[in-house]
Amino acid sequence: MNILNSYRLMIRNVRVNTDPGTLVFLVLMPTIYLVFMGYMFGTLISQIPVGTTSINYKEFLSPGIAAFETATAGIVAGGLLWSDRRYGMFEQILSSPYTRAEYLFGILLTTLVFGFIGSGIMMLVSEAFLDYTAISLMGVGLIVVSISLGSLFFGCMFLAIAAKVKSNQAYNSLTILIIFLVDFASTVFYPITSATPEALKILFYVNPLTYIADVVRAGYISTVTTTNLVELLVTLIETVVMVAIAVLLYRKVRVGVT
Amino acid sequence: MSGVLGLTSFPIEVQDLKYTYDGRKYAVDGISFSVREGEVFGMLGRNGAGKTTTIRILSTLLKRSSGSVRVLGMDPSTAGNRIRKRIGVVLQDESFDFTTVEKALDVYGFIWGVSKSERDKKRESLLNTFELTDVRKKRMWDLSGGQKRRVQVAREFMHDMDLLFLDEPTSGLDPIARRNILNMIKDLTKDGLSVLFTTHNLEEADYLCQRVAIMNNGKILASDTIDALKTGYNGLKTVEVKIGGDQAGAESMFSKVSSGRVEPPFESGLPYRIVTENTQETMQEIIKLAVTESVQIEWLNVRAVSLEDVFISTIAGGA
Ligand SMILES: Nc1ncnc2c1ncn2[C@@H]1O[C@H](COP(=O)(O)OP(=O)(O)OP(=O)(O)O)[C@@H](O)[C@H]1O
Ligand SMILES: [Mg+2]
Repeated sequence: MNILNSYRLMIRNVRVNTDPGTLVFLVLMPTIYLVFMGYMFGTLISQIPVGTTSINYKEFLSPGIAAFETATAGIVAGGLLWSDRRYGMFEQILSSPYTRAEYLFGILLTTLVFGFIGSGIMMLVSEAFLDYTAISLMGVGLIVVSISLGSLFFGCMFLAIAAKVKSNQAYNSLTILIIFLVDFASTVFYPITSATPEALKILFYVNPLTYIADVVRAGYISTVTTTNLVELLVTLIETVVMVAIAVLLYRKVRVGVT
Repeated sequence: MSGVLGLTSFPIEVQDLKYTYDGRKYAVDGISFSVREGEVFGMLGRNGAGKTTTIRILSTLLKRSSGSVRVLGMDPSTAGNRIRKRIGVVLQDESFDFTTVEKALDVYGFIWGVSKSERDKKRESLLNTFELTDVRKKRMWDLSGGQKRRVQVAREFMHDMDLLFLDEPTSGLDPIARRNILNMIKDLTKDGLSVLFTTHNLEEADYLCQRVAIMNNGKILASDTIDALKTGYNGLKTVEVKIGGDQAGAESMFSKVSSGRVEPPFESGLPYRIVTENTQETMQEIIKLAVTESVQIEWLNVRAVSLEDVFISTIAGGA
């Protein structure tokens, strides 16, 4: 496998995906969440305890939305396999000087790129209505690691779906359903409290977006607890499992040999 | 085109190739053929004959079930990547990126590692050759079917290659676009490009190909130069007879023709064809029969045997 080839495919993926539709999806939608929920709930909710301190709702929401971008990036990148298969480019690329592994790796690089672009933009957007003190170096490290893991997890999740699903309707309704579930069954918009029903808690704790949101948030306020480290570890394990599932399903996709 | 083929002068060599999709029926059932350097080799055959499957195997997209295959002197099941670097493939199914025509061409050149300046040059000349300049800013999904096909074919010429697979490249193209593409391919073969070509348009195959294989049900029924295939029909001519008005009596009338072999039309409205040695005798016989059977002849025409005649009788004979 030649990593330069995957890099080249990543550039292609980004170039054919920087259409207005993708940008709306990647920037406008989360901005709407940020602005509306930030202002509306910001007036209703006072302080939210996080780690060893407490923050206001806007401060709570902003890192959540940055984390949320990993799932959005996953849809865009994982969905590439679906549209490449559906519109013939998968076969076309595999008859060009690329191996299947290089194609797959190209998509993983793409999910990372979109994850960082998306969360980076949302961090800048939230700067506009928050007055943060600078994020510490360790905070930056935490954010980078969790955004990477999150983008990989969701990229692989949607890639796995793209490897399985054939019809347009099935793919679209499945991704919409999943993205809603993943976003709302997480700590992107609200914290888990003692009042959260047990059944929902399970859903929250299975969902890696909960951990990614928590760790990105911890990075923002530069207060890391041991819980955050455990959360990172769980995210890592879930990501490894998801990568394995995606690779297995991808290998079953017909066409292409070496 | 680099045209440097290393040791072999047969860019494609296939021996007893078999492929099955489902483990039960062979889609390609023991075919052997070879393509020479600088020639256009045509694969002709009815729908489902196995042409696309063969191209998929040779272009490393499918792994053969058995037989031996050499592409540019290498085995596609082990040297896939080295082969892919030197081939171009225009698949039968449409394929496109969700972007504009000019960007689609550029991105494709990019994934082939073509430099920016070279890409710009190639893109402009291809937009011209394929008459796409008017739609260069249009997005792929806003194009007509034939325009999409043109972009797909043009795109493959963004990079150099030694061997080109064209699976029905002209399907959906208007006659002028079709001619342009055929002439471009002809020119490129002069520089040493070898081409494996499929089409259902036999006039086109006649115009472009040096040699053809006629396939049916996964097997090659005949394979030779077009001239050699036609010499099986040496001295033979085709008399075409178009029946006007009521077609009812036509079948019984043609069953009485004894001076040549009758090929009934695929669908009503097309002429009957009689392959014959003695056109004079056949025409007299038909006119006589038309009078006695009171069948109305709309027109009658004599011409040389075409590749289409060869194709039809080969398929009929092999079925
Ligand atoms: N993906 C597939 N899975 C199963 N069977 C297939 C598949 N693709 C093709 N076949 C079968 O293999 C046989 C050969 O198909 P192929 O596409 O090679 O024909 P073809 O000669 O290219 O036909 P056409 O002129 O219609 O393009 C057909 O019977 C077809 O139904
Ligand atoms: Mg075909």
